[in-house]
Amino acid sequence: MRILGISAHYHDSAAALVEDGVPICAVQEERLTRRKNDAAFPLEAIAWCLDHAGMQPEQLDAVVFYEKPMLRFERILTMALRGYPRSWASFPPAMKNELGNKLWVKGTIASELGVPSGRILFTEHHRAHAAAAFFASPTRRAAILTADGVGEWATLSLGRGRIEDDGSASIELRRELRFPHSLGMLYSTFTAYLGFPVNEGEYQVMGLAAYGKPAFSDQVRRMVRRTPDGAFALDLSYFEFHEGARRSFSDRFVAELGPPRRPWDPIDPGTAEGARYADVAASAQLVLEEILVDLARSLHRETGLEDLCYGGGVALNGCANARILRESGFRNLYVPSAPGDAGCALGAALYADRLHFRRQHRAVPDHPYWGPEIDANDLARLAREDGLEVEQCAREVDLIGSVVDELAAGRIVGWMQGCTELGPRALGNRSILAAPHDPAMRDELNRRIKYREEFRPFAPAVPIEHAERFFELPPGGARLGRFMSGVFPVRREWRARLAAVTHVDGTARVQTVERAMAPRFHALLEAYGARTGVPVLLNTSFNLAGEPIVNRAIEGYSTFLRSGLDVLVAGNALVRKRRHVSAKREKAVG
Amino acid sequence: MRPTPSTFDLLLKPLHRWVWTDAHRRARKLLRFAETEAGGGRDLSRAAELTGDPSLRRLFLRHAEDEQRHADLFRQRGRELLSASPRPSRFEANWLAPGERGLDDLRVDSETDESLLAFLHLSEKAAAGRFALYGQVLDGDPDTREMFARVLEDEAFHMNYTRKQLARLAPRKQGLRLWQARAGRLWKAYLRLAIALASVLGTVMLWIQYFVLLPPFALLAKRGARREQPGFRVSRPPTPLPRQY
Repeated sequence: MRILGISAHYHDSAAALVEDGVPICAVQEERLTRRKNDAAFPLEAIAWCLDHAGMQPEQLDAVVFYEKPMLRFERILTMALRGYPRSWASFPPAMKNELGNKLWVKGTIASELGVPSGRILFTEHHRAHAAAAFFASPTRRAAILTADGVGEWATLSLGRGRIEDDGSASIELRRELRFPHSLGMLYSTFTAYLGFPVNEGEYQVMGLAAYGKPAFSDQVRRMVRRTPDGAFALDLSYFEFHEGARRSFSDRFVAELGPPRRPWDPIDPGTAEGARYADVAASAQLVLEEILVDLARSLHRETGLEDLCYGGGVALNGCANARILRESGFRNLYVPSAPGDAGCALGAALYADRLHFRRQHRAVPDHPYWGPEIDANDLARLAREDGLEVEQCAREVDLIGSVVDELAAGRIVGWMQGCTELGPRALGNRSILAAPHDPAMRDELNRRIKYREEFRPFAPAVPIEHAERFFELPPGGARLGRFMSGVFPVRREWRARLAAVTHVDGTARVQTVERAMAPRFHALLEAYGARTGVPVLLNTSFNLAGEPIVNRAIEGYSTFLRSGLDVLVAGNALVRKRRHVSAKREKAVG
Repeated sequence: MRPTPSTFDLLLKPLHRWVWTDAHRRARKLLRFAETEAGGGRDLSRAAELTGDPSLRRLFLRHAEDEQRHADLFRQRGRELLSASPRPSRFEANWLAPGERGLDDLRVDSETDESLLAFLHLSEKAAAGRFALYGQVLDGDPDTREMFARVLEDEAFHMNYTRKQLARLAPRKQGLRLWQARAGRLWKAYLRLAIALASVLGTVMLWIQYFVLLPPFALLAKRGARREQPGFRVSRPPTPLPRQY
């Protein structure tokens, strides 16, 4: 049985193909169209999935969309009515948006793919999140928590999943919170208030939070009341996202926290104004963590299970994830590589396979590499056309030796291997790598390559066998670090030697690399450790500001030429830029 | 080829001068230009990734880097002006001083090298002419004027390389390609106008419905909302997957 899952129309559209219960491939539309966070109907992603599987659309047994469009429309219309007459400005754009294309998904799928409408299915949004988190995890019984901005009505769901010995599966979502009471929207409101782009700038809020103190936590708690049943309710007098198109926070919100930051204003946490922004970010982060930990703790008490599968965009908050793991009582926390909407394409397909067609569960390979594969010959051809020398290494050990030489000399390497990752994180197949030792490297990367704010941290990657030596991981922490989903303290004695990847609060969003999942990346980390004594590398996504993560060799090559990258590796081909690295950077490696 | 303002823009010079007089408005415009230039840079790097011609790829990449540098220049100057002049200005007249708009609705993936070069040439020529005019009307702001002069040097290069490369790739059809690009720009301008008009009409129709039809339903919805208890709700049982609700 062949099932195509699709997510689209909000942000990060994607397609995923499941054959006989096992994913074959999955890719985000942005990786193919090169438009960051592309929300369009994912024609390119679908075409690539079908092509990759050697399949025609008519061979599909089902196409599953990741939400119920009519239910979402009901919510949008109801909120416009509840907000009457204040919703007058947002009503026309909302209706045009929905009636223009979003409501007619079934017709779009039928006409674009030519599949009969009887084969087109729709899961509920949070059930797709739950399926992506539960069915892709290695557990058979787990509590399930999903939290995001909003799906149809639900913004947060609690439940449990179960796989029986005979392979039959169930997902039972017991209770939910409904729009507008949403942790995702709460955090996005702070993102907008702090002048960052919503659905993208949430990482910036989390990074900025480490510079501040939660001085405004009482004010934030007033905005998010706790209810007697352990849930929460937003005090809507502080918010406008539910009824206005102009901005997401109200004048009362501004009265509590001070004037919002304008997007073009630089942030310097050393100034009074910058410190206030950092304090606001820290307060929002603290309150978010408190609520999530309470919810997870009550879910643990209720289910008595050891594992928690956690999906939805809020699960990208690595600081909150680490606190859930430490404080909720669950032994394991499973967050998929794409907990956001892109992962729902896979979740919707798996949900239909296990629960609609009632097929037996089959273990899903535990890795994030579901996209297009790199072609080393492409890089070699492009570089030769431009007169650059190409080193093509027949043996892996030679390639790794050359890359370690470059990294140890303080050079910055673009690293492309195998299939591209599903999800927002580069996990060793489309990564920019550098030595983790000197803070100057962090500034260099921010200034010359990523062109982003100085307060944003970079992540370390470490072989799972050595992770405990450098990072304070709670039980289950190494697993959470598999897809870079948790933020943990760097051991005090290593902070100076891991300065480029240690955030201002002494933490890092660590990736624990297992040999079986990424053998070449693991070997590179080991070889770097053998050379320098520290098997840790700085690992950041291979893209420039405003662009999606690179996919093909040509995109890596174009990024290499336009940025301060020194070396580019694709498969077994290695290309160096013709210029000298400054003596300062040579010295940067400790 | 030297960039010169179009006759139409020259006729509107007094108006342009007035638009650029206000420091706050000037700053907002420069920040908008920065976004447009950064977007144009991304389009050009995409064009470089798609072309099979190595020399064109190198030129597109250089062009993309220029656009990124312009974006940085515009952003920096815009921020300087804003910090010096925090007074908000409501009227921005963006339709009159659109910056390098030409690349906005360009679908690089569906263009051939020839059609892309023709489009870029016209777009760069128009932008260069406009930037030359902006430089002329910025008497009271030598720093911004100097910035436009620097940008203009690059724009002249962009105008010239796109023309030369078009001549290399389509020696006999370059004129045709340019006319096709002009027609394409005209068609896109018409589409923009038509979409804007349709949008206004759609908005008016929806407002009529909003204020005439919705009030009784709004009352019911508000009453329903008041009855809702805060906190958890029991999740509704899953509906069959063929259903959209």
